[in-house]
Amino acid sequence: MAFLEVKAVSKDYGGVRALSDVSFQVKQGEFHSVIGPNGAGKSTLINLLTGLARPTRGAIVFEGCDISSRKTHEIIGMGVGRIFQNGRLFERLTVLENVMMGHSARKPPSLLRLAYSPRNASVDQAESREAALQMLERFGLAQYAGRQIGSLSYGSRRLVEMAKVMVGRPKLLLLDEPAAGLNSGEVERLMSLLQVLRKEHQLSVVLIEHNMNMVMRLAERITVLNFGKKLAEGTPAQVSANETVLAAYLGEGYRSAAL
Amino acid sequence: MNKKNAKNASLILALVLSLGAASLLPNAVGEYWVRLTNAALISSAAVLGLNFVLGYAGQISMMHASVAGMGAYAVAIGTVKFGLNPWLGCLIGMATAGAFSYVTGILLLRLKGHYFALATLGINVSFIIVVSNLVEITGGSNGLTGIPALTILGFAFDSERRFYYLALVAVVLLAVFASYVRHSQLGRSMIAVRDDELAASVSGLNVTAVKVTALTLGGVYAGVAGVMFALHARFVAPEDFSTSTSIVYLAMLVVGGEATILGSILGAFVITFLPEWLRWLGSAYLVIFGLLVLLMLFLAPRGLAGLFGFAWSKWKAQLSSKEAGKWRFSK
Amino acid sequence: MQDLVQLLVSGVALGSVYALAALGFVTIYSATGIVNFAAGQFVMFGAMFGVTTVLQLGLPMPMAILLAVAMMGVFGFLFYLGVHLPLRTQSPVTVVIATVMIGLSMQNGANLIWGSVPFRLPSPFGDGTLTVFDSAISTHALASIGITAVLVAALYVLMQHSSLGRVMRAVAQDFPTARLMGLPVGLLLACSWAIAAVLAGFAGLLIAPMWFADAHMGDAIALKAFAATIIGGFGSVPGAIAGGLFVGLAEILGASYISSAYKDLLCFGAMVVFLVARPQGIFGEPISERG
Repeated sequence: MAFLEVKAVSKDYGGVRALSDVSFQVKQGEFHSVIGPNGAGKSTLINLLTGLARPTRGAIVFEGCDISSRKTHEIIGMGVGRIFQNGRLFERLTVLENVMMGHSARKPPSLLRLAYSPRNASVDQAESREAALQMLERFGLAQYAGRQIGSLSYGSRRLVEMAKVMVGRPKLLLLDEPAAGLNSGEVERLMSLLQVLRKEHQLSVVLIEHNMNMVMRLAERITVLNFGKKLAEGTPAQVSANETVLAAYLGEGYRSAAL
Repeated sequence: MNKKNAKNASLILALVLSLGAASLLPNAVGEYWVRLTNAALISSAAVLGLNFVLGYAGQISMMHASVAGMGAYAVAIGTVKFGLNPWLGCLIGMATAGAFSYVTGILLLRLKGHYFALATLGINVSFIIVVSNLVEITGGSNGLTGIPALTILGFAFDSERRFYYLALVAVVLLAVFASYVRHSQLGRSMIAVRDDELAASVSGLNVTAVKVTALTLGGVYAGVAGVMFALHARFVAPEDFSTSTSIVYLAMLVVGGEATILGSILGAFVITFLPEWLRWLGSAYLVIFGLLVLLMLFLAPRGLAGLFGFAWSKWKAQLSSKEAGKWRFSK
Repeated sequence: MQDLVQLLVSGVALGSVYALAALGFVTIYSATGIVNFAAGQFVMFGAMFGVTTVLQLGLPMPMAILLAVAMMGVFGFLFYLGVHLPLRTQSPVTVVIATVMIGLSMQNGANLIWGSVPFRLPSPFGDGTLTVFDSAISTHALASIGITAVLVAALYVLMQHSSLGRVMRAVAQDFPTARLMGLPVGLLLACSWAIAAVLAGFAGLLIAPMWFADAHMGDAIALKAFAATIIGGFGSVPGAIAGGLFVGLAEILGASYISSAYKDLLCFGAMVVFLVARPQGIFGEPISERG
């Protein structure tokens, strides 16, 4: 049984077919990357994986469970974490409070609990706080704990988002162009961070990226999309040598650079 | 951390000062002003509730006054038609208001925001129609009189001054609980839902459930305001819970400062006392009122509390820059 | 049978007027994403402008109507300048509340200007009747249906087949891109508001002879217009029309056969049923996402 299975998934938006009969599998613990030119359907795919949209046809199966029509928060509760392209955080909450939100699936907020067992509620709160602080330290952001989000740099915002997701202890991490807007030093740090997190938490990863350096070094398997269809799938070596992929996306220059 | 502590400290300070001054109030001013203050306190309860719904969770409710009305009519009908103890009437009122809000939330909050806003307008209008027409039960447009006063151990809250202390305690308790909620995971979840619904659901929050909780909590608060109204005026009529009143509650929240507890109370007081200050406008008052709130939205979208907060942080920045200036050349 | 024909025509006539009011609301929503809670007051202003030009100034009917409609157009433009423009950077919630507040001011301003005594506004089509299927149908009712049809057709032609309509649709679909392309977005948005105001104005001028014109008529109409858009399909033009007709018919038939006191509740009840069972309404909400 595959860990994550995308089975013949198609997605139509009105008259536009964003994804057409796409299938691939991700094994547990695997680092899988999805690449392709803009408009290939990569973001649509991630939206389907997190329940923000429903496939028009086909199914998505996570750990044996069909999540095609599950609600987003249920899917997150099953152990999926998603990092957004532009680091979506809550502007009115502090850094620490943002990271504490990562616990929402494991400890849903409840008015009844708050009103009738305040002691339990405050124990939960203290635990959440501890876990969040530890994660911030892990990411080197502890000194920002009480800051407002607006005062952070772009790179720091990304890290806070990642800390928030990791606090929820996901099994599968979905990353939507995490390297966008980062300089090469920050990208290197991001890559080593991902490696470390993967090992520590036995994470499986699906990475959508344009930064080929990052993809080729980290991914174990790559799926290539073009115009909503799957163009190729394989190891980095296989994909870099694939003629159709080079023609459609990577460019001839890549082949000679890779050699 | 500092900003939060400063905010907490100023809130507690404000509370203590207000309570101190407040307990002396009835001795200092005439009954007319005490009555007005009571009205402001009743509105504060309602607006504190609306703060959960709109200020935190970002849902526009145009039915808040009718939810308060449910609480008020529950007490009225319970005591006048069924001879129930007013305390029991209060409980029934709060429960009715809360339950109605919960059901409405379940049915409508899974839809997009504008559907909810429009539907709540319909709900308020329907409430008025139903209440005005069920003359046997509700007294129709003439309303119900003869609601008994609330009593504890023989002590009846039947004068403005006596009711004032009751209302004061009630609002303080409501505010403290609101603060408790604000600083809990639930409060943060509501704020997260308004800030970025998508990010909230991707953090694992059941967004609809959070909205429903906010609406229910707001409804219970509205119910409290309603029962307070009934037990203060000892008379209820449909026009006290019309869409205009719902609009006034929205204005109070917006003017006072959305998403702040202090702002909710401040707004309630300012808008309650505004007709007094603008008495010279006569019949043009409501026109000017709408325009004033509009102006407020242009100039101070964070409301009066936001302005004070802004002034406070500017003042702090002044102080700290002076400090920084001292050390500027000591690298 | 006679009664039924009369009721049906009245229902369709009333429904046409509600459809116009709903169209005014939908025009703003699809062009700007704003839920205009003052929509009912716009209709009321249309009726009251008619009161001024027809009754108070005593102008000949055709001129009076045209002047009232023109005044509405100007009002829409001013509304854009005074309310939408200053708030364009604020959150949608703030804008909605702003429309609520300005609606309150409009209602009370009208009360101040025209007083609280309702006016009897005569129909531009006289108060004659035609006999159709042995029933007496008022010319005003038939004319209302006709005028609505003409306006809807005109709106369609404007939006789909004129260059103004094309650029307006561009602004509605993708504001940032339209701006970057150099379209005069401010002017186009102002046009949307003017058109919406004109539609509302016609609604007011047509509905006032059916009942009366006074400063407080806006609230009831607003509710019907909102229910119409929800029932018909929020944000869509066919939806506004279908929903308006539905609400009009439901009101007239309901008042006759079920209860007159609760007739407004029927419309609201239908709205809730749709919201619970089929929130996208009869025609469904257009898929375009508002960013």
